[in-house]
Amino acid sequence: MNLLYATLGLIALYLYVSFASLLWEGLDRKLVARMQRRVGPPLLQPFYDFLKLMSKESIIPKHANKFYELAPVLALAVSIALLAYTPMGFAPLFATKGDVIVFIYLLTLIGFIRVLGAISSGSPYAQIGAQREMIILVSREIPMMLGLFTILWRLNHLGVEKPFSLAAFYQHNIWELGTPLAFIGTFILLFVFLAWLASEIEVGFFDIPEAETEVAEGPMAEYSGRHLALFELSNALKMFVSASLVVAIFFPWGISTYIGLSGTAALIVDILFHTFKVFAVLFISMSIFRAITGRLRITQAVQVFWVRLFPAAIIGSLILAIDLLGVIA
Amino acid sequence: MNGRIEYWVKIPIGPIHPALEEPEKFIITLDGERIINVDVKLGYNLRGLEWIAMRRNWIQVLYLAERICGICSFSHNHTYARAVEEMAGIEVPERAEYIRVIIGELERIHSHLLNLGVVAHTIGYDTVLHLSWLAREKVMDILEDIGGNRVNYAGNMIGGVRRDITEKHKRAILDMIYYYRQEVMPKIEEVFLYDPTVEARLRDSGVIPKRIAIEYSAQGPTARGSGIKKDVRYNEKLGVYPDLGVKPVTPKEFTGVIKGDVFDRMVVRVGELWQSMEIIERALDQMPEGKIKAFPKDNMIIFKLKKAEGEGIGRYEAPRGEVIHYVRAEPGRDGPAKWKMREPTFPNLFAVARALVGEQLADVPVAIASIDPCLSCTDRVAVIDANTGKRKVLTEVDLLKESIKKTKEINPNIKAKPERIGIGRCAL
Repeated sequence: MNLLYATLGLIALYLYVSFASLLWEGLDRKLVARMQRRVGPPLLQPFYDFLKLMSKESIIPKHANKFYELAPVLALAVSIALLAYTPMGFAPLFATKGDVIVFIYLLTLIGFIRVLGAISSGSPYAQIGAQREMIILVSREIPMMLGLFTILWRLNHLGVEKPFSLAAFYQHNIWELGTPLAFIGTFILLFVFLAWLASEIEVGFFDIPEAETEVAEGPMAEYSGRHLALFELSNALKMFVSASLVVAIFFPWGISTYIGLSGTAALIVDILFHTFKVFAVLFISMSIFRAITGRLRITQAVQVFWVRLFPAAIIGSLILAIDLLGVIA
Repeated sequence: MNGRIEYWVKIPIGPIHPALEEPEKFIITLDGERIINVDVKLGYNLRGLEWIAMRRNWIQVLYLAERICGICSFSHNHTYARAVEEMAGIEVPERAEYIRVIIGELERIHSHLLNLGVVAHTIGYDTVLHLSWLAREKVMDILEDIGGNRVNYAGNMIGGVRRDITEKHKRAILDMIYYYRQEVMPKIEEVFLYDPTVEARLRDSGVIPKRIAIEYSAQGPTARGSGIKKDVRYNEKLGVYPDLGVKPVTPKEFTGVIKGDVFDRMVVRVGELWQSMEIIERALDQMPEGKIKAFPKDNMIIFKLKKAEGEGIGRYEAPRGEVIHYVRAEPGRDGPAKWKMREPTFPNLFAVARALVGEQLADVPVAIASIDPCLSCTDRVAVIDANTGKRKVLTEVDLLKESIKKTKEINPNIKAKPERIGIGRCAL
């Protein structure tokens, strides 16, 4: 019975997050348009795009193999599975001990499936886009994982119910430590995570795999119709999930306890407030970032990860560790 | 072999590609992200303009010349008018020359603002694109005010200009210059000289060294970005330009170094925006009163040119580089017997294709955009056999043979033997 409720919850969550993430895409386009002194498309444009793409014919290239058609379905399936492990203002639906590994695995898998689909399409543009995506993929996960594991390890010492689970953030959060060193470490990691978020949704500096003016949408070059629509939706879900992770780590507070709600009403209020926070984080990491920067070369982007973000993550983690172990008091 | 396998990929950029404004094709051989070879294919934008021109009269060709390209619409018809004036020995009133300078420099401002936006767009910096094109609207409004049209302002007439610049226009232009100096230029300098993203992407990409620029005869900002002091307005003492203090702008005056990369070409464009504004101000100050046309009626021009004989060459520094028009007249004919032009994009395109070898794929769109290519100007020749309808592509060898033949015909005493340099197929 519990499993049934959880499954129903997942379906409800999927419908809600699809709506919220597409709504954010519309909002983002409108906001960026205003920053660029344009009028911008209607707020619901991503919904119209999605519906139109669903009804359009999907053209399959002659040189594509079977995986080409399978990849969008898999990508969407993985994104939906990912929702079960995502903190959404309340603990993840299927939270267990150590589920952070599943979370990272599924998040990376979406990018991997995109690469496979792109290579299967047989287009040279898609192939170059796939190469770039792969390079970015292996560079961006390291600083994020280091930061995430350090924070979870630190929270462990405060005594949480499920160690190394994303549910831990709703019992204790990183700001509760209160020492100056912890604050400094957390701020450094917050910066690393905001940069990672921008690279995860590929905007601004990191719009490299899908660079429109260089490789004509890269991995998505050959996709059209329903297949493209599925990829768009899974991308939107991934965007929301990645931002949810940042929100859960750094801004996990809910408002339901303050206004004295419980049960389903509390869940609804929490998820709405969580959505608001996700939009706020995305506004910084996506809208502003993409309005004020251009795209880097792939070599420069890799350098940003390994020379700037990775050392920053190490320093942030070390500071948190020093704070706990009391090496310098 | 030595057992090493090369994973080379050939990818076509074009004829239709999001990075290109006009149809052209670059076949790029890649080893990973590194470019091994660039092959340029042209000829997707042929409209047979020279053929059309031979069936029109002298004045109609003016409007045809204007429609060669939407951006340098004034440059082409100015150069054509100069060529015809030289051929027929027509004196242009001084006020007309000043008006030509003013419209020409306004056009340079709008063309450079457009290109700055396009280059920003190719590196994914769309905010700069939208804001610089917003700023461009102001100069477009002025051009519409003067010429009655945003794009084809039809300012020139053989032996003068068609419309005068009145006191009202003068005030509007000065207002525009004030607006650009106060609001637009500081921001443009901030973006193109100091922004870290722009510097990271544009510095050291698409480098055209001075030697290559000279060998491939690069023109305009592409040549000046490589440190060649080449500007027809200055070198040829064109019209009234010497009185207005025109000087070739090189990046040295702004950044102190000349590297010949995309960044330097953009710096040249920013410098020329400043220079154009100064020239316009001086021209408005010094402009004498008087006639604006050598002939009060247009049919007098046709009447005079019908009797003309000979050839004429017009040169002008368009925003992209030097434009040359050549016309030949035969007596009794009311249009040109031959009309031929050479645009800056053609040499620039091959220079940039040569410069791209060894760079990354990510540099291709930005390097191509940085020469401000204008393919509608460039594609004009296709050799088609009228009997069989077969298309023939002239290779460098054919062209060299033909040009040696022509040179021998004109001057049999020339002994020099030109050699192939291998344009279009860069050596591996």
